[in-house]
Amino acid sequence: MSSLPLPLRPVAVPMRRRLVAAALGWPLALSAGAAAALDPPSGKVVLTLTGKVSSGNGPDGTATFDMALLERLPRHSFATRTPWYPNPRRFTGVLLRDLLGAVGSAPARLNAMALNDYRVEIPAEDVARGEAMLAYLLDDQPMSVREKGPLVIIYPFDDKPELRSAVHYSRAIWQLRALDIQ
Amino acid sequence: MTDAVEPMAERPQSPLWLLIASAALAIVLLAVAYVQWRQYQLLDSATHYQNDALGWSFSQLETEQLRLRNQVQAGLQGPKPPDREALQLRYDIFVSRIGLIDHQRAARIMADQRSYAPAIALVRAFVADADRLLGEKPTEALTPQTLQQLLDGLDALTVPLHDLSLGASHLLYERATQRNSAVRQQSVLSLALTLSQCVLLLVLTVIVLTQLRTLNERRKNLEALADNLHAARIEAETANRAKSVFLANMSHEIRTPFHGLLGMMSLLQDTGLNAQQQSFLLTAKESANHLLAILNDILDISQLESGKLQVQPETMELPLLVAQVEALMRVQAQSKGLALSVQLEPDVPRWVRADATRLKQILFNLLSNAVKFSEAGSVGLRVATGFGGRIIFSISDTGVGMDAKTLERLFQRFMRADDSPSRRQGGTGLGLEISRDLARLMGGDITVQSEIGRGSVFTVALPLPATAAPTPAQLAPETVAAVRTPGPLRVLVAEDHPVNRAYLEAVLDKLGHDAVFKEDGDGAVRAMHMHEFDVVLMDLHMPGMDGFAAARAIRSMPPPRGRVPIIALTADAFQASRDLARQAGMDGFLTKPAHLPQLREALERHSGIGKAPPSPAAAPRSPQPQSADEIFDPATVDDARQALSPIVYADLLARFFSDQPEALTTLRGAARSANQAALHAQAHSLKGAALNLGLRAVADAAQLVQSATAAGEANGHIETLEHALARSRAHCIRDGLLPG
Repeated sequence: MSSLPLPLRPVAVPMRRRLVAAALGWPLALSAGAAAALDPPSGKVVLTLTGKVSSGNGPDGTATFDMALLERLPRHSFATRTPWYPNPRRFTGVLLRDLLGAVGSAPARLNAMALNDYRVEIPAEDVARGEAMLAYLLDDQPMSVREKGPLVIIYPFDDKPELRSAVHYSRAIWQLRALDIQ
Repeated sequence: MTDAVEPMAERPQSPLWLLIASAALAIVLLAVAYVQWRQYQLLDSATHYQNDALGWSFSQLETEQLRLRNQVQAGLQGPKPPDREALQLRYDIFVSRIGLIDHQRAARIMADQRSYAPAIALVRAFVADADRLLGEKPTEALTPQTLQQLLDGLDALTVPLHDLSLGASHLLYERATQRNSAVRQQSVLSLALTLSQCVLLLVLTVIVLTQLRTLNERRKNLEALADNLHAARIEAETANRAKSVFLANMSHEIRTPFHGLLGMMSLLQDTGLNAQQQSFLLTAKESANHLLAILNDILDISQLESGKLQVQPETMELPLLVAQVEALMRVQAQSKGLALSVQLEPDVPRWVRADATRLKQILFNLLSNAVKFSEAGSVGLRVATGFGGRIIFSISDTGVGMDAKTLERLFQRFMRADDSPSRRQGGTGLGLEISRDLARLMGGDITVQSEIGRGSVFTVALPLPATAAPTPAQLAPETVAAVRTPGPLRVLVAEDHPVNRAYLEAVLDKLGHDAVFKEDGDGAVRAMHMHEFDVVLMDLHMPGMDGFAAARAIRSMPPPRGRVPIIALTADAFQASRDLARQAGMDGFLTKPAHLPQLREALERHSGIGKAPPSPAAAPRSPQPQSADEIFDPATVDDARQALSPIVYADLLARFFSDQPEALTTLRGAARSANQAALHAQAHSLKGAALNLGLRAVADAAQLVQSATAAGEANGHIETLEHALARSRAHCIRDGLLPG
């Protein structure tokens, strides 16, 4: 996709994004602005987006994020119980939908990869519904690799009973390092 | 009725069973809900997943340990010094996996595994040692020696971690098996509960169905009961109607001989009695008249009840009717020393449509009551126009009056204001009911106001529509011919039977009238063309032109001939015949036997001579009076012998009997050739003659022949007739009516 002729991009993509954004009901300007200029990362790259990236900042049409870039995206936060911690924990981060929006992509199926090469597929619906979130803070603290950080994908398991299944628990990937947009 | 009682006795049990079954069903449903909730809980818990994932966590830890070992070994053996950052990351990932197995819950789950605690301790010791090289703040540099130490530490972990991984796997299989068996148990329980649910539902259904059936049966029983009641009511109504009809018939039957009695008394009066005999006769006549009045009342009430009585409105002159009523009542009032005041308001219309006879009956009744119950003072009749064009007749008296309780029951049958055992006042107690029923039949009503000791006022309100004065032709002969002077009448008689002709000739002669006789309608019409008559007596059933046709022919003549009063004479008294006669233009209707007083009264009334008031005893309506004597009608025989003299009667009887062989031959011939009309005419004619002569048995037999429809039936009846003739003749000779 990244090799498509440029003239089409400015017209087709914002139009589609505007529709999606309007349908989902949050400020158009925010995502449009973010997409318009994804700055290159200044710190250590923690996440790489490959595949159907529309407006990336890296080589070969990829998008790379450091913590600062992620923190500039709309921030969400919720607490939930998980199978991995005895108590409910608070997770803070960016919805995958917003993350894709930031690179000019519509919600799509994602291939998530962890530092230890664990892989899992996240369907487009989880992204579109705004359920799947990329968390970078646990109880308002950054997560080290030892603490399964620095990035994890988490779902609001407590809010939606249908998410409390092995399938969704397996999608909650730790030590995330890359997302391939299908 | 036992059918209806049984389900009712069963009924109280059902609700209890229903209650028990419902409660049981509710309990089972609750149990099912609990079991299902438990199953949901089992599947919904996050720990459950966590426990399942523990096996994976152990093997991940093992894997990360091996990967770290490989990387350390590669660093030791490689040409380049190891990449610290990559080694650090691998180490951190390994450490991050330790957290997944090193916690309380894992310890609890792995409690049975003896290797868990030492292995965990070993791992912790390794991490504490390795952190010196690869921790957040390394205190030692990466040298081949330290790397070798690290590798040795990692190798020491290999066996315990592998054992742990295997142990965890086996443990988790067990747990999965346990959970499966729990789910199986719950499923079995669930199944059992569902089964009992089904059983209970079945029980409930049976109970409900039983209840429905019981209800259905009760409904059917009720319906049957309602049907029976309906049938019983219809039966009762029919029986009641039959009784009314019987009463009406009986009154009729009693009245007929009674008229004979009265007629005889009238004749007796003219036979030169002494003063004492006259007084006896007067008392007898009074009693008889009273009895007749009662009979008339009973007849009226039974006819009202059976719906037979109909009012027949005609154009009539109201002031004339009031004058007639006044004339009659004045005598009664004066005899008791009461004043009678009659007041006719000027706004009352002169000509109205009303049934004069019935209206008079009401007024007579109420005025008679007023006179009866007043000892002194006055009785008043006031006629005025009321609301909506109604004519209001107010009958007031200064009599004893009535209290409220009496007023309430006043119009009820047999109710009399004076109900004391002594019963000072006579009467049937039917008069008021008849009057009110008649008034209602005319579309009006009667109301009453009264006060004890002050008198009463009865108010009759009737919707009598005012009409224009009729042309003279429409007037009843009564009013037209009222001016005629008394004298012998010229009477035309149309009668086919010779004996009847002879009988009528004798009667008319006795009454002093001149009579011309014709044998059929044709002759009568021709006679009308040639001569002038004052009145016509017309037999209805004659060979050739019958009475109806003749009457129509006469009515089509120009006046005055076309207006001559015509009185129908017939042996039957059916209302249908009456109506036909009226439609044919006839004025009066006399049933055979035509007794002398009735004939005289009818002639006087219709020809306008004399002042005979319309007698309620006019024209007996039954042709076949029945009494104990089955051969004769004694009243008619006596009447005829009295009116005609025994010699003339004997002569008529002789002529009658001598004619019969020929008549029987004719009848048999008609029956043989199935000539229904001839048979009917001959039998009818014979019947009329027999009635006039008082030969009841013969008349009855002739009636049977007349009504016969089949030839065989007719022959049988002719046989009976012949027998009756022979018997009657023998009786006549025996009783000295006929010379032997």
